[in-house]
Amino acid sequence: MATAEKEKELIAGLRDAVINYKIADAKKLAEEAIKEGADAYKMTMEGLAGGMETVSEKFDNHEYFVPETLLCAKALYGALDVLKPHIKSDSGSKGQVVLGVMLGDVHDLGKNLIKAIFESAGWTVHDLGRDVPLKSFVEEQLRTDSDIVMLSAMMTTSMVGMKKLIPMIKEKNPNVKIMIGGAPISEKTVDDYGADTTADNAPNALREAMNMLESLRKGMVSA
Amino acid sequence: MSMLERVATAATMGTPDVVPCAPLVCGAAHRFSGQTYEEWSRCEDPEAMVAGGLAAIEYADMCGIVLLVDLTVEAGAFGCETIFPVMDTAHPNYDDPFIKGPGDYAKVKKINPRETGRMKGVLDQIAGYSKAIGETHAIVGFVYGSLGTLSMMRGPEAFFMDLVEHPDEVMGALEIMDDVLAEYAVAQKEAGAHAVCYDNLYASESILSKPLWRKFEGKGMLKVCDAIADSGALVVHHNCGNGIYFDELEKYGHPHAVSHAYVADDVDSWEEHKKKWGSKICTIGWMPPGPVAMLGNEEEIEEEVKAEMEIFKPGGGFIQSTGCEFPPNAPLKHAKMIVDAAKKYGVY
Repeated sequence: MATAEKEKELIAGLRDAVINYKIADAKKLAEEAIKEGADAYKMTMEGLAGGMETVSEKFDNHEYFVPETLLCAKALYGALDVLKPHIKSDSGSKGQVVLGVMLGDVHDLGKNLIKAIFESAGWTVHDLGRDVPLKSFVEEQLRTDSDIVMLSAMMTTSMVGMKKLIPMIKEKNPNVKIMIGGAPISEKTVDDYGADTTADNAPNALREAMNMLESLRKGMVSA
Repeated sequence: MSMLERVATAATMGTPDVVPCAPLVCGAAHRFSGQTYEEWSRCEDPEAMVAGGLAAIEYADMCGIVLLVDLTVEAGAFGCETIFPVMDTAHPNYDDPFIKGPGDYAKVKKINPRETGRMKGVLDQIAGYSKAIGETHAIVGFVYGSLGTLSMMRGPEAFFMDLVEHPDEVMGALEIMDDVLAEYAVAQKEAGAHAVCYDNLYASESILSKPLWRKFEGKGMLKVCDAIADSGALVVHHNCGNGIYFDELEKYGHPHAVSHAYVADDVDSWEEHKKKWGSKICTIGWMPPGPVAMLGNEEEIEEEVKAEMEIFKPGGGFIQSTGCEFPPNAPLKHAKMIVDAAKKYGVY
C-alpha cells in the first residue's frame, strides 16, 4: 500500500507526463504505482484524467494543437494500459457513449481525439472505428445501453447517412442522445437531421456530453 | 467583361463590372461527364472529364473551373495506394499506408509529374479546357501541398506525431516532394492554367501551431508558389480550416487570392477580415458547402450570397464561391442558384 505522500507524488508525475507528453515516463510511473500498491483508479482519475483536463484547456486556448494533443493521448494510453487491469470493477463510469465514423468515411482523427478525451474523463467509450455500417451503431447502442451515440463525418457524402441513421437509433431507443460532428456539420444539420447537438472540437464535445447526461439523469429521476 | 477578365480583375484586387462567381464544382461535374464518380476520379478519360466540366460551366454559368479531382492525386502519383469508392471521394488505403513507420519516409522518391499517374490526367484536362475556354473562362490548376500529401501517405494521426517525434525523416521526404510539386505547378501553367491553387490545409489553428506549420511547410510552399509566380500564373491558395494563418500565407505564399471557408486567425469576424486582409488579398468564398450550398433552399442560398456580398463586394477583390468544394452529392441546381444570386447582388 503506497503512502499518501507517495500517491501524491505519483499523481503529480502522471499528470506531468501526460501534459508534457513524456510517453516513456507515463508508462514507467504507472508501473511504479502498481508496484507500490497505489489505487489504480485514483492514479487514473487524478493523474491521467487530471493531466488530460489541462491538455483540453491548452487545446482550447490554442497553446496545444493536434500533434501535441495526440502525443498527450499517447502518453495517457501508455499508462492506462498498465493501470486499467488493476482498477476495481465497481469504480464506476461517468457515462457510456457509442462512437464511430459514418459509412464511406475514413477520416477518424477527430473521432480518436474525442475517444481519448472521453476515456480520460472516466467515460466508457464503445469505439466502432471508421467506415461503420449504419446498423452497427443501432446494434451497439442497444447492446451497451449507452447514453449517447456520437457520429462523425468529414464529407457531405458520408454526412447524409446521418439523416437515415438518427431515426433508426431513436426508433429503437427514444431516450438516447445523439451528437454529430465533423467539417460539414452545423447547427442547421443538427436540426434538419433530428440530432440533439454538435460540437466543434473534443473538449466541447465532452462539455456537451456532460450536459446531455445530466438532462438524461434528471429525466430519469422525474419519471 | 468576359468571365476570365472578371476573375483576373477581382483576383488582382480590382473592381470588375460584376462579382465573378464560381462555386467549386469539381467532383460534382462527374454527373455531366457520363461517368460514375469512381470512373471520373480515376482520370482515365480526361476528354470525358473536360466535356463534363464544360457542361457544368455552361449549366450554371460559372466563371471558371478548378482542377481539383481529390486530395489523393499527388499521394497516388508518389506511390500511395488509393481506394476509389463508386459513389464517394477517393481516399488512401489507411489500412496499408505507403509509409508504415518513420523509416519509410525514405521511400519517397522523385517522380516526373508530367508523366505520372493522375497528375498527367490533370494536365491533360487543363490542356483540354484551355483549348475550349482558355480565352473566356478562368482555368485554375490545383496542387495539394507536400505536408497534406505526405500525411495521406502515412495516415494523419501517425503523421502529426511524427512531426514532433521524427522531424528529420519527415523533412527529408517533404524536400523531395516540394521539388516535384513545383514542377507540377509549372506544368499546369504550361498546359494552359491561368492560375494555380496551392492547398495548405494545415496552415490553420485547426491543426498545427504556427511555428510547427512554418517549420515543415513554409519553405516548401514558398518554393512552389515562387514557381507558380515565375511561370506567369496567378497564385491562389485554398484552406478550409478554422483560423487560417494569413500572415504566414502572405510571407511564404504571396497569394493573389485565397479560397477559404473561415476567417484568418488574427480577426474575429468577416467584417474584420475584409478590413485587415480583404483589402490586399482577394477572397474566394465563403458559402458553407454542407449547411447552405447542399442543404439550403433557394431563399437561404440567396440570403447567404447577399450577406457575403454586403461585406466583401465593396472595393472589389472578391470572387463569390463556396468555402470548400461544392459537395459532390449536392443538387447541381444549387450551384446555379449561387451564380444567379451573385448576378443579382454582385453588380457594381
